[in-house]
Amino acid sequence: MNNTVLELENISYKYKNDLILNKINLKINSGEKIALLGKSGSGKTTLISVLNGTIKPTQGEVKLFNQSFEELDRKQKSKITTIWQDLRLIEDLSAEQNVNCGLLAENNFYFAFKNLLNISSFKKAHKYMKLCRLHNSIYDKKIRKLSGGQKQRVAIARSLIQESNILLADEPFNNLDPKLITTIKNLLLENVDKNKTKKSPKTALVALHRLDLLNDFDKVIGIRDGKIFFNLKRNNLKKIHLEKIY
Amino acid sequence: MNKLKLNYTSLSFLPILVCIPLGYQLINNIHFGGFKLFQEFLISSFNPKIDNEIIITVIKRLNETILIGFFSWLVSIIFGAFFGIISSNIFYKIFNIPNFFYRIVRFFLTIIRSIHEVVWGILLMQIYGINFSIGIIAICIPYIAVNSKVFAEQLETIDYKNFESINQINGPKFSSLLTLIWNPIIYTFKNFGLYRLECSIRSTVILGLFGIGGIGTSIFLSFQTLNFRELWTYLWSLAILIILSGLIFKKIKFNTTNKILSIFFISIFFITILFSFLYFLYFIFNNNFENFNSASSLFKSSSDFRLFDFLKLTLETIILSLLSTGIAISLPPLVIGIFNNNTSKIFIKIFAFLLRLIPTPVILLTLLTFNNPSVSLAALTLGLHNAGITSKLLFTNLDSQDKRNYIAMKSLGISKKTSWLLGLFSHQAKSYLAYCAYRSDIIIRETAIVGVIGSVGLGWQLQESLSSFAWQEVTLVLIAYSCIAIVGELINGKIKNSLT
Ligand SMILES: Nc1ncnc2c1ncn2[C@@H]1O[C@H](COP(=O)(O)OP(=O)(O)O)[C@@H](O)[C@H]1O
Ligand SMILES: [Mg+2]
Repeated sequence: MNNTVLELENISYKYKNDLILNKINLKINSGEKIALLGKSGSGKTTLISVLNGTIKPTQGEVKLFNQSFEELDRKQKSKITTIWQDLRLIEDLSAEQNVNCGLLAENNFYFAFKNLLNISSFKKAHKYMKLCRLHNSIYDKKIRKLSGGQKQRVAIARSLIQESNILLADEPFNNLDPKLITTIKNLLLENVDKNKTKKSPKTALVALHRLDLLNDFDKVIGIRDGKIFFNLKRNNLKKIHLEKIY
Repeated sequence: MNKLKLNYTSLSFLPILVCIPLGYQLINNIHFGGFKLFQEFLISSFNPKIDNEIIITVIKRLNETILIGFFSWLVSIIFGAFFGIISSNIFYKIFNIPNFFYRIVRFFLTIIRSIHEVVWGILLMQIYGINFSIGIIAICIPYIAVNSKVFAEQLETIDYKNFESINQINGPKFSSLLTLIWNPIIYTFKNFGLYRLECSIRSTVILGLFGIGGIGTSIFLSFQTLNFRELWTYLWSLAILIILSGLIFKKIKFNTTNKILSIFFISIFFITILFSFLYFLYFIFNNNFENFNSASSLFKSSSDFRLFDFLKLTLETIILSLLSTGIAISLPPLVIGIFNNNTSKIFIKIFAFLLRLIPTPVILLTLLTFNNPSVSLAALTLGLHNAGITSKLLFTNLDSQDKRNYIAMKSLGISKKTSWLLGLFSHQAKSYLAYCAYRSDIIIRETAIVGVIGSVGLGWQLQESLSSFAWQEVTLVLIAYSCIAIVGELINGKIKNSLT
């Protein structure tokens, strides 16, 4: 009973004269936890941008819930959330305001307005920031004043607060120490919150370089030069596969 | 061998060469008939008239000026932000509107901006008659367009990646837009918007000279009756007003995290929009279009209007802009460099302040007391006034600059002037020139003011055509003005890009 949530059909992406993604076919089923492996510059970030609709592929079609991406309405598109490799937080807003930006989709304009005026409720934002082990002294600090690891977790909190079904995470463990990596990994992939107040995204695709974390994933995709080299169950992954892409 | 190398420093001094043709024409035109008047004008500056009667007039007139200036500032900032948003890329990206409309809006604003508020004022006065509210509207029209450009420029600094990430959250489009533009808008308001209040007060004064009301009208009347002591009372009180308005805004620290203050500003924002809209409607429906109604005047033939004259006046306007820009660029660094000691600095600062304070028409009228009207005289006026403005910027930048190079060079025994030039000014030259490029956009527009008063260029033609209700000519003059300003803006834009 595999129901496909995201699908790429023969996707190519050309930037100037470089073929960055080359005829990619990919199906992501509901509930899957996928690790995306590949060298730097292999096209992971570009693939994620195509999956979330930010980049329009030069060729091929992206389907979300079996519908072409362009035909979807805002609410359906907001079922995807992204943790960007370069975070893409708004530097001049505070950490909590940035996290609250994740709530834009489920709220109206008035909420966005109150958030910017700093008079909205930050209850939910604080909850997620706490889950990401952010200390409450940084809640109202501007992003530009935070350390790399703190920024990283603000970006993660902004993504998790959306409580979307599908999570796309681009090297989310950058800048984090080993203990935090475990915490964040659990947050992204499992229900770890004891009170069960939070649901982890059902489906997750995580680009990463840490091979020791692969055990928590069901599937592994290897990408090299914009081409998918393998797409396997984790149990079937052999050393020789990894040698091909690195 | 000391060769003249073409770098930013020398480029800042070269334009002073305009003084050669300028000086030649001025000397040829000199007459000493009004020299005594000029002397009296200068002496009166130390001896302004002060009595109960004039103080009451001053307060009343200043009130009018503040009212017009403040209100037009508020309206033009708010609507400027609005038009800035709809003429910025980010708006079209978020709403997926074709780029075609972006171009149209920008083009429309460029045209509106290219015409000086005095021209708008004269035009509206001719149509609606002299009226208090004309001042506000005349200032608001070009100011909204100018402000919108600054807001739009700041909005272009929004990181495209931030746009992508907020867009990907898929909130309502207006929410995404507001979240992205919030900081650039606040930043522009703090750094540019507050400074515009001073500009708005100055414009009110200039329009006052043309009869709109406020202190400007008093200045003009006292000048006309050669009542120089009264004139200086008005000028000094205007100086106090401008200094105070600057100080007040420097003291206020806008804290956007302060909730009460935020709500206060938001309410002002909405009240202003509502009020100005109602006011606009009221204005449109309650004013009879006195002169404009006579349709015949629209088609009035203009037999005395010749193409050759028109081209000549256009050329005159261009020359006027070039000459004044030359003075505005080169005079400040030259004077500051030559008289480089603390006492002279104070004198230069005071002189520059006076040049900024005294409205250009008054400077021009004063100079006219001993010189016949000519392009050079108008250029000198406009150049001096703007040199007052560029020198203020130069002083501020020089004062805040790291002086270690300069001190090191001086202690090495290099002469004071050379060390100033190489140790201080050369680091500023590039940004100074970039600012001057921006300033020359304004100078081109201001040629209208001195044109009307000093009978040169298109400004003079505008006055002539308006007073004979030759609307075709007026349209032609306005188009010519627009073209000059737009071409100038394009050239200056290129220069600015190569400097930054
Ligand atoms: N904005 C861009 N402009 C030009 N080239 C780009 C851009 N983004 C990515 N690339 C190129 O696309 C390729 C894939 O990049 P990316 O998707 O970021 O790889 P990864 O995330 O795996 O490191 C690289 O060769 C990179 O140089
Ligand atoms: Mg990447």
